[in-house]
Amino acid sequence: MWLHGWFMALAHSPLGHAMQRSKWDFAIVEMVHLVALALLGGSVLVIDLRLLGVILKGESARTIGRDLGRVLLCSLLVMVLSGIAMVSEEAGKCYYSPAFRWKMVLLAGAVGFYFTLHRRALLHTDVGAPNMYSRIAAIVSLLLWLGVGVAGRAIGLL
Amino acid sequence: MPLLQHFCQMLYDSSFGTMIRESDNAFPAIESVHVLSITLVVGTIAVLDMRMLGLVLRGIPVTRVARSVFPLTWTGFAVSFVSGFLLLWAEAAKMYGNPAFRAKLILLMLVGFNPLIFHTTVYRRVQEWEARHVSPWRARAAAVASIMLWSAVIVAGRAIAYF
Repeated sequence: MWLHGWFMALAHSPLGHAMQRSKWDFAIVEMVHLVALALLGGSVLVIDLRLLGVILKGESARTIGRDLGRVLLCSLLVMVLSGIAMVSEEAGKCYYSPAFRWKMVLLAGAVGFYFTLHRRALLHTDVGAPNMYSRIAAIVSLLLWLGVGVAGRAIGLL
Repeated sequence: MPLLQHFCQMLYDSSFGTMIRESDNAFPAIESVHVLSITLVVGTIAVLDMRMLGLVLRGIPVTRVARSVFPLTWTGFAVSFVSGFLLLWAEAAKMYGNPAFRAKLILLMLVGFNPLIFHTTVYRRVQEWEARHVSPWRARAAAVASIMLWSAVIVAGRAIAYF
């Protein structure tokens, strides 16, 4: 399958060789991935807890979503880049790993949801109180992102 | 053997510590909770730090952001602390000599001093500057220190496995 070819190309790339060769280079990439994870998670939490009406009640969900959305997307970019670097270290293992595949599916789901229904909920709610729609959007978002995190942990463990 | 090292060896040899360490699921599960809790601890306090730096939520008073964030950060800290303590219990003898673990503990102490200083000085008069889009320089310094120290804690934590 063509996708497998991409993974193998990544493994044989200069990035792949650098990651496979040096234990500490890989460690640095992991550390960057973790710091970005903290920032991504923090922004998701504050945005979704606003949508749930737990914190920052009465403040504009639109503004919160816009400002923290920037943090979310920047840290997501850093995580994707560091993630690609980590995959290049063990591309074959990742390709065949059920945990990795789950993570990619959940990640696509989380990002897709973020740009569509979640965004709609934020714009709709704005300074208002949460309704069922915003609460469901928040819970789905939290579960998807949590799933990405748990699946990511599982890659290393299974 | 120094007293502290003896104590660590005792924790390590205990049935509870051994159970966690040798289990198929307990250690990975506790470790996963610990790692994911960084979103609650560091991620939320980073939002307050970014507010004081004038990067996000400028229209919301600093005190409002702080009030929203602190319960989350403290909850996360409780989760990190308990999960971290269990991980330490299981691996105590190995952690004793681990330079990354020692660095992490020192950094955790520093990361505790920072808000202590902050809350007893510039934050005392927060009413004067809470509405400002960018907070006074002392608050900004605390915010930068917070982000850097917490990042260092995370880095040291990850490095533990490499020693």
